[in-house]
Amino acid sequence: MSGKRHIRPAAGRDPLNTESHGAAAQLSAMAGGIAHDLNTVITTIYGYSEQALETLEQDAETVQYIRRIIAAADRAKTLAGQLLSLSHRVAEEKVPVRVADVLADTIDFIRPSVPSGIRIIRNLSAPDASVMAVPAQLFRILLNLILNAAQAIGEKEGTITVTLEAPVNEEGERTEENGTCLLIRISDTGKGMDSGTAGKIFDPFFTSGKKSGTGLGLTVVSDAVRELGGKIRVSSVRDKGTTFELLIPDTFFGSLNEKN
Amino acid sequence: MAGVMIVEDDAALREMLRDSLEKRKYTVITAADGREALAKFRPSVVDLVVTDLLMPEEDGLMVIMKIKEIKPSTRLIAISGGGMAGPGSYLLMASKLGADHVFSKPFLPSELVQKVKELLG
Repeated sequence: MSGKRHIRPAAGRDPLNTESHGAAAQLSAMAGGIAHDLNTVITTIYGYSEQALETLEQDAETVQYIRRIIAAADRAKTLAGQLLSLSHRVAEEKVPVRVADVLADTIDFIRPSVPSGIRIIRNLSAPDASVMAVPAQLFRILLNLILNAAQAIGEKEGTITVTLEAPVNEEGERTEENGTCLLIRISDTGKGMDSGTAGKIFDPFFTSGKKSGTGLGLTVVSDAVRELGGKIRVSSVRDKGTTFELLIPDTFFGSLNEKN
Repeated sequence: MAGVMIVEDDAALREMLRDSLEKRKYTVITAADGREALAKFRPSVVDLVVTDLLMPEEDGLMVIMKIKEIKPSTRLIAISGGGMAGPGSYLLMASKLGADHVFSKPFLPSELVQKVKELLG
């Protein structure tokens, strides 16, 4: 059993390192790690129980004992689920999150899986900008969009450009007149879409003919962005590429409003 | 008979899955992490890989990606209990990288065996 995960939850390639998110996140990671290892053990119990049942006559007394072992494993599964749920509840609290940090985590996580012909360029004009978000939720939004961008390029050479901007006035200051949202833009030089397809991509179960996937990815992204009080929009040109833009309220203005 | 590789860092689960598949007459090769899996992978022997995702050395996502490069026809099943980013993130990545099916732990091994049978036709 891989107990090391209990102590160092970020030791593998878990992208949301606990250190930057405080004690609650560490507790959440620990609970999640224990639930993970427990679920692995339960799978083994199920497996040997099933094998034992296959080798016994149906009326054997031992069959009843094994059914009770499976029932006990079911209860353990429920407990592990509750632990995981606790872990997610703690992890699902909104906190001020530096977008650039989550972007860096996401790109580090994805980079080894993206074909070498694809360049990922970061263009962060507002590196300290933050939003109120659940870090894992923002991570999942960016993960989906950057993976889609990589898939749109495929095995060809291409570029994904990730931009983070906070609108400023001519003096370089942030003011409400210039907008209170941060702009995250993810552009790719992939195959693009026609306007009919682009108009449907946020619909549940819509797929553009891919072999894999449920067709829920962008619906989930769209819902998650709305949950952050933001908006998402897409523009695309066939054979040129696609751009997703996320507008998410900036905590800078949240704190100003609180002071007023 | 078809060959199956199991990549899982938990020894008890790894051996249980080996037992389950060998009983169905599959030739089974096991590995405790991604690095060992890639070292042991033989295209002529392995038709399907069952891989955990979070592992200490090379992880399961890397295994999926590299095996798809070495032998694109290899069928792949990802199993994961998830980490702090949640099982959805890892299983989503696995699907996008080409896993034919994913199981979130805990699962019934009989269902995995059935899926292996389906994928190997």
